[in-house]
Amino acid sequence: MSVTKLAYYPGCPSDATAMEQDMSTKAVFEKLGVELVEVEDWNCCGAAEVEDPELVYALNARNLAIAEKEGLDIVTPCSICYYNLERSNQALKADEGLRAKVKGIDSSLDYNGKIKAKHVLDVFVNDIGLEELSSKISKKLNLKIAPYYGCYISRPPETGFDDPDDPDTMDKLIELMGGEIVPFSQMKTLCCGGPLMMTRSDIAFDMAMKILDTAKSAGADCIALACPLCGMMLDGKQADIEKALHVEIDMPVVYITQLLGLALGIDANELGLNKNVVDTKDILGKVV
Amino acid sequence: MIKTWELDPNFKEEIMNERGGEHLTACFQCSTCTLGCPIIDYVPTYNPRKIIQMSLLGMRKEVLSNPDLWVCLICQTCTARCPQDVRISDLLGAIRRIADKEAEAGKIKIESSRPIFDKAFQHQLAKYGRLYDMGLAKEYYPKREGSFFKGMMAMMNDYKDFGMRMFKKGKMGPKAMFPEKVKDLAVMKKIFEEMGEK
Ligand code: SF4
Ligand code: SF4
Repeated sequence: MSVTKLAYYPGCPSDATAMEQDMSTKAVFEKLGVELVEVEDWNCCGAAEVEDPELVYALNARNLAIAEKEGLDIVTPCSICYYNLERSNQALKADEGLRAKVKGIDSSLDYNGKIKAKHVLDVFVNDIGLEELSSKISKKLNLKIAPYYGCYISRPPETGFDDPDDPDTMDKLIELMGGEIVPFSQMKTLCCGGPLMMTRSDIAFDMAMKILDTAKSAGADCIALACPLCGMMLDGKQADIEKALHVEIDMPVVYITQLLGLALGIDANELGLNKNVVDTKDILGKVV
Repeated sequence: MIKTWELDPNFKEEIMNERGGEHLTACFQCSTCTLGCPIIDYVPTYNPRKIIQMSLLGMRKEVLSNPDLWVCLICQTCTARCPQDVRISDLLGAIRRIADKEAEAGKIKIESSRPIFDKAFQHQLAKYGRLYDMGLAKEYYPKREGSFFKGMMAMMNDYKDFGMRMFKKGKMGPKAMFPEKVKDLAVMKKIFEEMGEK
């Protein structure tokens, strides 16, 4: 399928803790010849903290409506934003009463259900496709990689775009780029603990540690992921986890968009590989 | 022990009338949700199957004041595996919203700082339309600790190393001190007035 233009929803961490994900997403799409049009004046999707589904639907109706006016499907690199956009999309499409109620709040929330919401990983593998990607890949990733999917890529089933127990979208992409997948199946879809970071950090740290530790024991050069909250837990908080649990991990954590960027021959700094907290220099040396 | 005279026969409907709680009665108590839940490794009492059973029985007060409601990760593992499509992850959210209203009305006490956090988060969205980390921390910590001073100490403790790390990577510059605002703030205000939990 040829994708040429998409509405881009960056999400709140895009200019802070996950700026490297935002940078690499933009650089990769440019290289692939896909134009991204940032959703004008976008608002937060509600993350995991807004529990009332109707409030989530209203928040996301505005972003969906802005993209719909442009006549573009909407894409995001964040798994939580994706989940909120797509579940709102489905609920609003299916329920006329809900659409009317949401539109009643403000005319800018008038969404007619005409577009799709997509996660970048889904666009790369299933819309652009491995064949087209392989024709553009110019470098080999000589890396052992632990592919970490987290929750919303494959769950819940209505919005997930991969198998809930054994997802492989990222595996396929990594193998296409020449990377080797390390044994990591039991950790692939385990939650990173992020939602409990601020209220039960003891649980959150231990959950994240299990994931990091498994990748390390499996001999991975890095963990690949696709969500800024997972990134914050596994990369941003890794030093706090090491300190709290008296362990040494030192495991680089990179976004799948950064790896794809490297394989496409994009400069490491343009992909924000100097912004990941755990040093990524060793990885760069293995891209040939 | 079940005190039959304290059971609330309407609790079932109360949950099923909340968005996300609709499928409560589909549960046939197989325990798949509980056995696959990552939290059972950390909280020995954690048991979503039992929360559903107690809800079906009408044990309203016990369910709503159960602190375990607030350690759910919303990770959707239970929902993905349930053979009866109970949608437990959403269902627990529906129960938490009822519990929250009950606590706001002073009828129960919630032994968790999670509602304080979630509310502080939502206040940022209502005010700015986007997440403002600093604003969130400045509201959350003092409320959790019960005083401004203690709150600031706790915040420093959690953030001093992390903040420095982010700063070094250029992820927490002077810009992070101020909120990123949506231009159309009037619509954010309306959304929260119409749909928000007050
Ligand atoms: S998995 Fe579903 S049917 Fe089984 S106990 Fe849990 S909610 Fe009930
Ligand atoms: S959503 Fe909550 S109850 Fe369900 S598996 Fe995850 S942590 Fe357990």
